Amino acid sequence: MSEQPGFTPEQVIRPVSRGIVAAGIAGLTGATMIAVLWATEPGTLPTRTRAAFAGLIVIGLSWTVLALWSLLRRPLFAADRVIGARLAVVFSAATALVSAVIAGPLAGLPGLLLTAGAVLLLVRARAWRDRLRSQAAQRGWI
Amino acid sequence: MPDVNRNRRAAHCSDVTDRQRDALLVIRAQLGDRSALTELVGHWHLPVWRYVRAMLGDRSRADDVSQEVWARALRALPRLRQPERFAPWLLTIARRSVTANIAGGYDRNAPDEPPPTPDGAQMVLDRTQVSDGLAGVPLREREVLILFYLHDLPVDDCAEILGVPPGTVKSRLNRARRLLRDRMIEKGYDA
Repeated sequence: MSEQPGFTPEQVIRPVSRGIVAAGIAGLTGATMIAVLWATEPGTLPTRTRAAFAGLIVIGLSWTVLALWSLLRRPLFAADRVIGARLAVVFSAATALVSAVIAGPLAGLPGLLLTAGAVLLLVRARAWRDRLRSQAAQRGWI
Repeated sequence: MPDVNRNRRAAHCSDVTDRQRDALLVIRAQLGDRSALTELVGHWHLPVWRYVRAMLGDRSRADDVSQEVWARALRALPRLRQPERFAPWLLTIARRSVTANIAGGYDRNAPDEPPPTPDGAQMVLDRTQVSDGLAGVPLREREVLILFYLHDLPVDDCAEILGVPPGTVKSRLNRARRLLRDRMIEKGYDA
């Protein structure tokens, strides 16, 4: 059994390509901008323009789906979970605050609920990370 | 002692160390330590590929299926709750991928499971002999030989990976040894 695999361990754990992530963000931004532009047009757009807009939205969303699919295929480790949960807390709290300031206290309620959910995620993510750290410490890893 | 791998007994100490090493690497990888993940994959890259290669008998398919195994394993790794069970867990994933890629499945023309019997055909086999004779052994028996002899796994771990009781693993091992012995005799080895 002197045969060797045709791929290396490094290829197995290759991180998600930054290009794909950038394309996904650009696609989402472009699709959103065009959709907003289309939705806020006062009159009816010509058929060709609507077809062009629809095509561009589909292209943008396709890149977004590809980027999301690539990200979902990679493992979500404890450190990623904690970072993700922190971001969720910050952004949901900001959404709640801005909504409440602009449209009144009731408008901030959905953001508040999202913040509560994000805090719960953060607590669970930190507990999981701490449990793993203590297991690693028990096995002699500093 | 028909269910004890003699290679395994000799390598017991290093096996315990390997389990501890894997467990720590799994925990560090679950924490997000990229170097631990690289080391873990580096240790198991070849064993997984060899298992798949021996089961499928085709190198290019072994490459494809092994990469599929790693994609599944890495996605599920953060949810592995028993890091010391990494080896049987990984090989279970490998077995499922192999099963999905074998045309006709394992059970094609497979005989009924006989009850566990005393090991009348036991013989001492080394890894090279096992590897040489594997290609001529049916899949069901081949996989138990690979797990028990080439991966040095205990019967309980083999049972977990194969999804059968330990007694069935023992009876398959007995039959597999007999089949392998027949193949070896055909190839010119002495019984």
